[in-house]
Amino acid sequence: MSHHESHERVSVLQSVLSHALLIGAVIFALYPILWVVALAFSAGESPELGPVPVPDQFSMEHVEAVAMRRTDDGTWIFALQLGNSLLISIATALFAVAIATPAAYALSRFTFVGKKLTLGAMLATQMFPGVAAAIPLYLLMDALGLIDTRSGLVLVYATSAVPFAIFQLRSAFDAIPKDLEEAAMVDGATRFGAFRRVVLPTVRPSLAITFLFAFMTAWNEFILAATFLNREENYTLPVVLQRYVGEHAAQWGHFAAGAILVSVPVMALFYWLQRNLVGGLTAGGVKG
Amino acid sequence: MAELGLSGIRKGFGDTLILKGVDLHVADGQLVVLVGPSGCGKSTLLRTIAGLELPDQGTIRIAGKDLTKAPPKDRDIGMVFQSYALYPHLTVRDNLAFGLNLRKTDPSIVAKRIDEVAKMLGLGHLLDRFPRQLSGGQRQRVAMGRAIARRPSIFLFDEPLSNLDAALRAEVRVEIKRLHAELAATMVYVTHDQVEAMTLADKLVVLNGGLVEQEGTPLEVYERPKTKFVAGFLGSPAMNFLEGEVEGGRVRGEGFDLPARARTSGKVSVGIRPHDVYLAPEGGLTLDVEVVEAMGFETYAHGKLGGVKFVARLEGDHRPKPGERLRLDVAARHLHLFGPDGARLAVEDVASEGPADGPAEKKLQATEVS
Amino acid sequence: MSARVAFLAACLAALAPAHVFAQETTPETVQLWHAYGDGSAEERALREVVRDFERANPNVRVELLANAFGAYASKLESAIPTGRGPDVFIDAHERLASYLERRIVVPLEGADVDGLEPSHVAALRSGDRLYGLPLSAKCAALYLNDALFDGDVPDLETVLEASYPNDVRPLVFEAENAYYVASFVHAFGGRLLDDEGHYAFVGPEAERAVSFIADAVKRGQVPEETSGELVMRLFGSGRAAAAISGPWLAPDLPSDLSWRVVPLPSLRAAGAPLRPYATIEAAFLAAESDAPDQARALARYLVSPEAAAKRARIGRQVVSTTAAWDDPELANDAFLATFRDASRDAVPMPTHPNMRVVFEPAMRALRRVLRGGAAVPDALEGGARVFDDLTRAMPAPRDPTFALVGLGLALLFVVFTWVRRLRDPNERLALRASIPAYKWLVHAFLAVGLLVVLPLVVGAGTSFFAGRGTDLHYVGLANYADILSARGGELLAPGSFWVVLLVTVLWTVLNLALHVGIGMALALVLHRPNLKLKGLYRVLLILPWAVPSYVTALAWKGLFHRQLGAINAILESLGADPVSWFAQWSTAFAANLATNVWLGFPFMMVVTLGALAGIPKDLYEAADVDGATRWQRFRHVTLPMLRPAIAPAVAMGAVWTFNMFNVVFLVSGGEPEGTTEILVSEAYRWAFTRGSQYGYGAAYAVLIFGILVVTTRLFGRKLTEAPA
Repeated sequence: MSHHESHERVSVLQSVLSHALLIGAVIFALYPILWVVALAFSAGESPELGPVPVPDQFSMEHVEAVAMRRTDDGTWIFALQLGNSLLISIATALFAVAIATPAAYALSRFTFVGKKLTLGAMLATQMFPGVAAAIPLYLLMDALGLIDTRSGLVLVYATSAVPFAIFQLRSAFDAIPKDLEEAAMVDGATRFGAFRRVVLPTVRPSLAITFLFAFMTAWNEFILAATFLNREENYTLPVVLQRYVGEHAAQWGHFAAGAILVSVPVMALFYWLQRNLVGGLTAGGVKG
Repeated sequence: MAELGLSGIRKGFGDTLILKGVDLHVADGQLVVLVGPSGCGKSTLLRTIAGLELPDQGTIRIAGKDLTKAPPKDRDIGMVFQSYALYPHLTVRDNLAFGLNLRKTDPSIVAKRIDEVAKMLGLGHLLDRFPRQLSGGQRQRVAMGRAIARRPSIFLFDEPLSNLDAALRAEVRVEIKRLHAELAATMVYVTHDQVEAMTLADKLVVLNGGLVEQEGTPLEVYERPKTKFVAGFLGSPAMNFLEGEVEGGRVRGEGFDLPARARTSGKVSVGIRPHDVYLAPEGGLTLDVEVVEAMGFETYAHGKLGGVKFVARLEGDHRPKPGERLRLDVAARHLHLFGPDGARLAVEDVASEGPADGPAEKKLQATEVS
Repeated sequence: MSARVAFLAACLAALAPAHVFAQETTPETVQLWHAYGDGSAEERALREVVRDFERANPNVRVELLANAFGAYASKLESAIPTGRGPDVFIDAHERLASYLERRIVVPLEGADVDGLEPSHVAALRSGDRLYGLPLSAKCAALYLNDALFDGDVPDLETVLEASYPNDVRPLVFEAENAYYVASFVHAFGGRLLDDEGHYAFVGPEAERAVSFIADAVKRGQVPEETSGELVMRLFGSGRAAAAISGPWLAPDLPSDLSWRVVPLPSLRAAGAPLRPYATIEAAFLAAESDAPDQARALARYLVSPEAAAKRARIGRQVVSTTAAWDDPELANDAFLATFRDASRDAVPMPTHPNMRVVFEPAMRALRRVLRGGAAVPDALEGGARVFDDLTRAMPAPRDPTFALVGLGLALLFVVFTWVRRLRDPNERLALRASIPAYKWLVHAFLAVGLLVVLPLVVGAGTSFFAGRGTDLHYVGLANYADILSARGGELLAPGSFWVVLLVTVLWTVLNLALHVGIGMALALVLHRPNLKLKGLYRVLLILPWAVPSYVTALAWKGLFHRQLGAINAILESLGADPVSWFAQWSTAFAANLATNVWLGFPFMMVVTLGALAGIPKDLYEAADVDGATRWQRFRHVTLPMLRPAIAPAVAMGAVWTFNMFNVVFLVSGGEPEGTTEILVSEAYRWAFTRGSQYGYGAAYAVLIFGILVVTTRLFGRKLTEAPA
């Protein structure tokens, strides 16, 4: 009996400790975010905050200023730029997934001459600092006539997201038994038909995660966007956000408000996909 | 329904040759069972028939058409996988309909076929479930149903029962036999299970090392194994082998001395099935019993015969004790003699001892030539 | 096969809307680029003026493009040579020399400069040609809070030594910024850069100037570690009586503050006036313009008296057009008049390309004095060494014949091996068998090959070249030799490749350890079967992942701010002394680390959660039956089972962390003295900020690549090997 009680006490202690650890981690995770939120909802150009991130004076001025920004001729430029960001990011994600999926499938299922080389090259692209590629990339995009176009940016983002997407999806495909496609092929499907009707539906969680990562690549990028885009109505939100942190003075309130507006859609996506996140990231990983 | 012909099938992966020239004929409506130890190439052969692997050499004909290079979808086959390979994202109904829908079959016909199959296999109440919601036996039946629904001209089974427990296995085995009769379909069935092999096959094909070792009806193969390998592979418990020498109408070795008028003389392997021995005080076999397994209706005595492991099956009421020495005998027609190369040696007087064995022997010799 | 084509077509169709937006510039359109702050008065004024111009010239349309300040110069330099740039752009005059080097500006032939401030025009000349029309001048002046100081300002010491309430500092300015410090150096008769482009922030004049500032800081007359933002806050909230700043400070000041501005006064210690740097903002004509006539007309209009008056009135600019000042409203504007006076006495900022390089070493020297308490002469000498290092002499051109022959031989060898392989029937068979796989891969091959691999290879190729901008010459392996030999200096001196490598390795190892440690610990706790609020915890803990990394980095930089940061506020509320986070290597590194750990732990947590879900329960039961303790269970069951799932994530994480540019660049920015730089941020600095030695930066990048390839080869196999 007393043994039983002590056992119970241990488990209560454990659960208290668990919650303490988690709450500590949550504070660590949320503190900077709350700070940005407090900044965004404070009044004044450069609000000052103490250790507790709560605005002195609540105000929507920054959010309004950022979200309702219009050009002189009355165009609601923020909506336009939000649209750009969405369009570019979704197109990037679709394109990256569309390119990476068949390639990842081939790397998972076929043996072919140059397979090792291909995998090595994909890995190498992840290791080479992008700094060195910036100027050649600019010249190349120019030669293709894609400077200052959203499709050009989509191409650059998508291709740079492809290698990681391939690794991601390859391990997902590795986790699917070959029998499934073979059954489909015996049932009368072509290799591609089996891929489309049987393999793709089974890796949906991994596809969703790959989509999310590619989306984020485009959604958060600003250096290339700032370099490649030459018209304000083509800008994406991160470029706009950068402009609030200027040479002499930073509009931190605006920046914070913008940061929140930029982060919310991704947070929503994360929330929506979080189940897939846990499964999709490690599909095949457990298998090795 | 169709007949299937394979000739000279060779297939290698990298430097290892898996199939070394396989010839096989499956008649229309026949159920052929491919058996062999793991790695003998039986699954590869099945996959080659399905078109999932392309042979390096040889031809595959289905219903008289050369389909050696055809993709799986053009071969009109149905296949049941060892893992069942049910589509996890589709319901049982959609799994069954998958192949039909791919062929753009009229929906009313699809519905009718699913109905039939469900009735045939007792799947009616499961149609709207997903594979993950089914038990192992139910999945197995769905896998069969999926193949049946399409009405292919040839069915391929790849160890379909190996993931089921013993009781279920026996049940489904009978069901397959019934289905075969009902559908009158051409079937190729791969297994390493002897009971399945013996009970299901119209024709049994034993593969070893990428070659057909022997083919024939199950009983032919069982009773007249062409090689020591086949003899040792079929039968449970496995055949006992004793090393001896033929000399002057007898075969002798350590612990045994039996009459056998073989045509040759010299060193031989003597194969004796545990079931073929019987207690005889004057018998030519001396067994030192070590372990006794009493099964009730029969008893297995494990021991050493001349220093070699030997198993004898006794009637249920014989209960020898460990340490006991038994004298056993075996009918001459149940002696299997194999030469040093593993090939069966003919015994002269078999015909006189049992008329039933005569034609089998001849047939065996015929296949030896081919 | 046709189904596959249709699938691809659908994918491409999804992209089509993006193409629709691509438009061609029409010939009548003139592009005007600027980098004014968003919604600033200057931007508003420019818009007005441009609209007036369009009204007067109906056949010309002006497209205004506001650029992010940080990316402006590099964008101009990459866009203009390809004809994708503006026709007219607004920038400061000191960039002219480097723009001339890049040949991205064209002279204004026969421009009429009457009525423009002659000294401003002079700043825009190179040789005997004029390259821009001056718009306005900017320089620093002294802001005074009327409530705290209302007397005359005979010299700066008067302001410093007056008596103030307890919490008020006499003066605030960015004491670590060479731009403001230059005013003091000029007062003592020194300068930052001489006419030949040599570093001049050394010697007795500079030492006296720096000592003066250091003393003022030490006495508490000037606050330490002041950013532009802090200047605004302290002065704007009445916590500083005076501030040295430019005209850009005024719009940010609260409307209820009563203040005035005067030209920088004398410095009693120097016996001469403080002389700030003057920057002349000008309209430049870009090379490769499609509409040079319209561009010239626009530039001319921008400096016309009516446009200048508008820019002065709305944009609060000290315009260079003299006629604009005839307007009585402007002439009586005390603010503008003060800055106009101030700019007349100011020192035009040198236009030598090395001017861009001066600030980094000068700032480092100032920080060593003001934060580290280093002796002034030592610190300044150290700055000079850094400058020499940064403006390293270009390696001499080499004859490329040898390299070309080598390259040719290598290519020949590759072709030869391929031909030999193709003649081997087995290889041919294998190749034929590979064709179906290639069909699945071809899209990815083409896309990644063209847009990722090709630029990388070309970029790697430039590491054999030296020069600024696009003016490159072949130097063989000289860049590599320079990097690996620490440019002839001590191998273990701060900033040398080897030291930076060491920091990078430490950075990577610590980050990974913390990512994996924290991520795994949280995942294990979250995995507890009867934990309450599991879902909520998980969502909240994933949040950092969803925030863009540049937002994170800037937020954390703010948290670590010396005066305004929340971390110091917490420390102070606990009774501890505030910490100058970016003054010492250890704390600056810790700040970077904290940021990146925050950024990266959710990923590891999620990966571990997924892997934990894949461990069969019976393994634990088996361990329990075997009498394993909790720790043994973790050590012998959980850990080995997690390893195969986590290993690839760790390997990937190692590569990402090794090249984590954003955090290092935005949080510590390499402070103090570039010691927290990692290799990739060093590569970036060489390629883009230190005189744009692109080849040199590329050589760094290739070295990074080499290190990563070798390391992952060595460790990768060990990491991913599943325990047998």
